[in-house]
Amino acid sequence: MDPATDSVLLKGAHVMDPGQGIDRVADVHLAGGKIQCVGSHELTPNTKVIDVSSHYLSAGWIDIHVHAYGTLGFASPDTVGVYQGVTTFVDAGGPGIGVLDQFMELLSDLETTLYAGAFIRPMGLLGLNFIEGDVRTLGEVPITRWVDFAKQHRDLLRYIKCNAIGDYGPGTLKLTKGLAEILNLPLYMHIGEFQLQNPKHLLAPEAFRIAEAGDMITHLYHGNLGQVIDENGKVLPIVRDAERRGVIFDLGFGGYNFSWDVAEKAFAQDLIPHTISSDLQQFNVVRPVKSLANVMSAMIRLGMTLPEVIERVTRNPAHALSLVDLAGSLKPGLPADITVFRVETGDYEISDCYTKVRKAEKQIIPVLTFKNGKRFEADLALAQEENNWFLQIAEDHVPSRARALGERQRSFLSALAGRLSSINWELSSAERLDIEKALELQEIFHEVRGKQGLPLKDALQSVYASFLDQNFTMQIGLLLLRLERPFALQRLRDVSGQRPMAA
Amino acid sequence: MSQDLAGSLQMTERPWHVLTGLRADSTKFPARAKLDGEGIVILRTKTGLRGVQRSCPHLQGTMMNAELIADDTMVRCPLHVFTFKLSDGKGINCPGFRLKVYEIKEENGVLFGRSVN
Repeated sequence: MDPATDSVLLKGAHVMDPGQGIDRVADVHLAGGKIQCVGSHELTPNTKVIDVSSHYLSAGWIDIHVHAYGTLGFASPDTVGVYQGVTTFVDAGGPGIGVLDQFMELLSDLETTLYAGAFIRPMGLLGLNFIEGDVRTLGEVPITRWVDFAKQHRDLLRYIKCNAIGDYGPGTLKLTKGLAEILNLPLYMHIGEFQLQNPKHLLAPEAFRIAEAGDMITHLYHGNLGQVIDENGKVLPIVRDAERRGVIFDLGFGGYNFSWDVAEKAFAQDLIPHTISSDLQQFNVVRPVKSLANVMSAMIRLGMTLPEVIERVTRNPAHALSLVDLAGSLKPGLPADITVFRVETGDYEISDCYTKVRKAEKQIIPVLTFKNGKRFEADLALAQEENNWFLQIAEDHVPSRARALGERQRSFLSALAGRLSSINWELSSAERLDIEKALELQEIFHEVRGKQGLPLKDALQSVYASFLDQNFTMQIGLLLLRLERPFALQRLRDVSGQRPMAA
Repeated sequence: MSQDLAGSLQMTERPWHVLTGLRADSTKFPARAKLDGEGIVILRTKTGLRGVQRSCPHLQGTMMNAELIADDTMVRCPLHVFTFKLSDGKGINCPGFRLKVYEIKEENGVLFGRSVN
């Protein structure tokens, strides 16, 4: 089957396309990787008919907040993409300007369309929440580099992210807002202090003050310090003001960021997220997030109707991300990005990120995904497999995939080991991280690669294959920093000296 | 003996303390116990008993709910799957984090423990 040319009729599903006001049983015709029409259609003899009656069908879901890349990302990001009914997702802060080149190289092969919600910190998210809010970890923000990158890769960038946390005042938020204005992109802010941290001056209210129309605030229903409700459960006036100004509220379920108590109180006062996102990452895919579908089921349990939920994973995120010409609708001519799903009835439980569980009667289950017309069978279990999220340095063995590295890659590793042998480094603790050292290690990586004339992707893969069994991707400086120095040097030398796999 | 080696031996020779709050013939694990005034959690692994600090150094999830994995060589907090080596407490998927780990031994029907890190 060639999705680029094939003609497919999805027959008999209950079609929901809030952007076009469609909420009825209809057939959907795809051809040439594009949506042809919803409803009446002319079939060619070659049209393949797929019976999807007794199912729902919508435009492919858009998850505005996942972690595909970096220290929080997955070995196979598609497992939380097309295999969970999601055809488009945004990495919420994995890369910054210092690693966007790495981000692009490594994720260009995905089936799911990935965009960057780039982080203000050049290194991107660090994945150590004890220091994520420390303003000193921002380093330098190179405006010229940002502007040049945005000119060249306008389509990749969808927002600029920062964390409204920590005890350093609102400067970081304003700095990020300024950068977002320079780049003409929305600002995307995380609210909610990480647990165990207790700053004197909360930044969540500052986020609501600074955000303008089209800017986004995520983790709307989090239960940590800096909530959207006051101690009496009433929605804060500053949140309402932001809502009136056109600020977009995003759910961002996450591993720490969704509380049934907060959600129920806020929802009862009609404070409702405009977009439903998962914040899926290594540390929450097993529980409590699991999948965007599970998060959507939670929103049904909260009180949203199914069309309201679908609108928040199709039309609304497409608008928020300026993607209306590419995704979020079944309009003829758009890419054939489609999710076919069931709504099952039974006795279910949905956990928040704390200890609260709610009984639920409805559960949304994706069944089939089409991405540019290409068909994928949904499988929610794939993302849960341990080798997809358990990032473990292969300390006691050389990953077998290192044997597939070519001569030039092994030569690069040898040169890298030689250059790194004059550098000292260590990862001290979760409270401290020598980000300058991570940047230095990354510079050395690029310097050696440049001298060897090795393409970036080949160089990255040679290092990853030396230390990781699975295809995790992350900032190269942070990977090197987390390795014990003597081990790292020895392993680089070992792999560089290995005989290549027979052709 | 070189000075370095002597220093290193001195560093690793931590004192044993009697483990209280847990009988040597106990069969139910994980179990709470106290060592030198500190509450810890005792796990039963394939190679014997091992102690860990009471709560995860990440967000203080109780290690009473921890899961033994990798042939009982690692322990995983179920809250956010932060995973630690039982040999030295080093964070596997959480660099920079370290779990306190304790050796446990039995002598004449009495349990003893000492920190390994």
